[in-house]
Amino acid sequence: MESGLTSLFSVSIDFETSHLFFPRIIHWLMGGLFALILVLRVLPFFAAVRRGERTLPILGESMDKYRFFGSLALIAAYFYLMAVVGNLFPYTGYGFLSVSIVFVFLMSLMYMHTRTRRKVVTAAINAVVAPSLAWFILAKLFQITLP
Amino acid sequence: MLDILSLLDITFFLLAALGALVGIIFGAIPGMTATMAVAVCLPLTYALGLHHGLALLLGLYVGGISGGMVPAVLLNIPGTPSSITTTFDGYPMAQRGEGERALRVCVVASVVGGLVSAAILFLFAPLLAEFSIKFSYVEKFLIILLALTVIASMSRNMLVGIFSGVLGIWLSLIGTYSISDGGNGKTRLMFDFLEPYLFEGFSLLPVLIGIFGIATILLEAEQGVKSGLSGKEIKIGKGGGFSFGIFRGRLTNLVRSSFIGTFVGMLPGVGGSAASVLAYTQEKNLSRDSSEMGKGAPQGLIASESANNALTGGALIPLLSLGIPGDSTTAVLIGAFTLQGIQVGPLFIPENADTWYVMMTALVFANGVMFFLMFYAIKHIAKVVLVPKYILYPIIVMMCVVGAYAINYGIMFDVWTLLIFGVLGYLIQKVGLEVAPLIIGFILGGQAEVYFVKSLESFGGYSIFFTKSPIAVVLWALIAASVTFSVVMGLKSHAKRRLETSQ
Repeated sequence: MESGLTSLFSVSIDFETSHLFFPRIIHWLMGGLFALILVLRVLPFFAAVRRGERTLPILGESMDKYRFFGSLALIAAYFYLMAVVGNLFPYTGYGFLSVSIVFVFLMSLMYMHTRTRRKVVTAAINAVVAPSLAWFILAKLFQITLP
Repeated sequence: MLDILSLLDITFFLLAALGALVGIIFGAIPGMTATMAVAVCLPLTYALGLHHGLALLLGLYVGGISGGMVPAVLLNIPGTPSSITTTFDGYPMAQRGEGERALRVCVVASVVGGLVSAAILFLFAPLLAEFSIKFSYVEKFLIILLALTVIASMSRNMLVGIFSGVLGIWLSLIGTYSISDGGNGKTRLMFDFLEPYLFEGFSLLPVLIGIFGIATILLEAEQGVKSGLSGKEIKIGKGGGFSFGIFRGRLTNLVRSSFIGTFVGMLPGVGGSAASVLAYTQEKNLSRDSSEMGKGAPQGLIASESANNALTGGALIPLLSLGIPGDSTTAVLIGAFTLQGIQVGPLFIPENADTWYVMMTALVFANGVMFFLMFYAIKHIAKVVLVPKYILYPIIVMMCVVGAYAINYGIMFDVWTLLIFGVLGYLIQKVGLEVAPLIIGFILGGQAEVYFVKSLESFGGYSIFFTKSPIAVVLWALIAASVTFSVVMGLKSHAKRRLETSQ
């Protein structure tokens, strides 16, 4: 009996494939949990959606599409252009500095609900000062690499 | 002892004070948390060295948790999740024109909570570390398992909590099974063309900054980045009205809430709101007269704020003795240690005694600074809640980029990781998964794998996890207890809901 139990629990791991051993267990665990959640939570939820009691997340909610997708696009462009411009002036951080100024200003404009002259000027000053300050402190004083 | 004093120069104290101030500002802005403050300011610590960096980060941590009281009292919006219960009594007081009095009560309660928890940390962490030094891989794996079940059981739904944790582990396994951990150096869970980018997996800090920084911005953007505050008037009230007499007869409450906060902080991954809610309900149940609570009673503020500041010391206990973060902010702190090449775990305190004392000094000092800043300058700090978001958010995105890019000395893929995990963090919160277990799973996943596989390789069977030592059995009992607890709680709330719908 004792040896039967031990052999049931015993396991040997082949070194060549040992990198897959733990992930395989995690996959089974994830699969099992997902199935449970599907049955216990997701299906009842969809049923409630069909009855009109609940709404789907993201799709069924009202969202500020302009600002949400605008933020996504702006952030992606920011990351991409930073590297492109940064490669023109390697190891200076100018790519970061110049693209950040444009990005901060555009994002400020996008998040403003009413655009008054005063607000736009504040945003513009902020867009120049904040990245410059960050660039100066980090790249110049602390010698941290920036794109 | 003398060499420790030599580490504490003027810069050290200035940085801790600066950290506390910036932390308070971050905490005071609704939607921004202590975690975000620490994550965003991490790049500053690259150049500072370990001790100065820790002074800044601990200051940020203490300040960030404390700052949440400002909008909670003045605007009825918790600045950080943990100040949710501060709104119950703080806002009614502010409405009566007692805003400043309420804030000062909060400040005193906060500093007491912070110091009590620092004392407990100082006494308890070395003991726990000494105890856990003897742990083998088996016990270490079980500790991680326990940490994950505790987090899961504190989630709104345990099943979802566990799933989020396992998802976090899965994400952490992407990359190689590192040779330095005794693995075979092969990659898994990715496509071949990703190998140049993901050979070492996702870096911890870009993942954290993405989930806490970018995802928060996306969630706000979806809501249209409401200015919201312009319509509301801030009522700070007249000065005065505060005396320490308010605390007479409230000592039990103060101490009990501090202990509750510390204890909840110790539980891995359990956020601040659990601590203050627990302390608040305990005060409601146990105090002689709780009839005024919720209508503007200082006792509610005392319970809430002392508990949420006590989290700081509590959350550092498992971090410094076991290497397991107590909450999301300490999870980011792990990143700061890794950055300096220091591994936190049972050996941290004995091997880095200097750093340990320096940390304690920073923690106590930051609490002191927080007290003086907020007690005397609260009127000016209160104005921070009015800084428009259209100014703030772009700066935060920029700081996130700096942090992610500099972490591995200039790798652009880390910046893209920000966006990937920003979007992922947004989706996760939208479909109802839990962020805290996911993050803890991500941080501990790699270690869990090494301990698990090593245990099996050296003992050759699963039974070792049950029979290795008495400690292993105790750990299993704790795991079983936390699972049972959450199942029972789940059934209770289910039954309650059913009762409510049937009525």
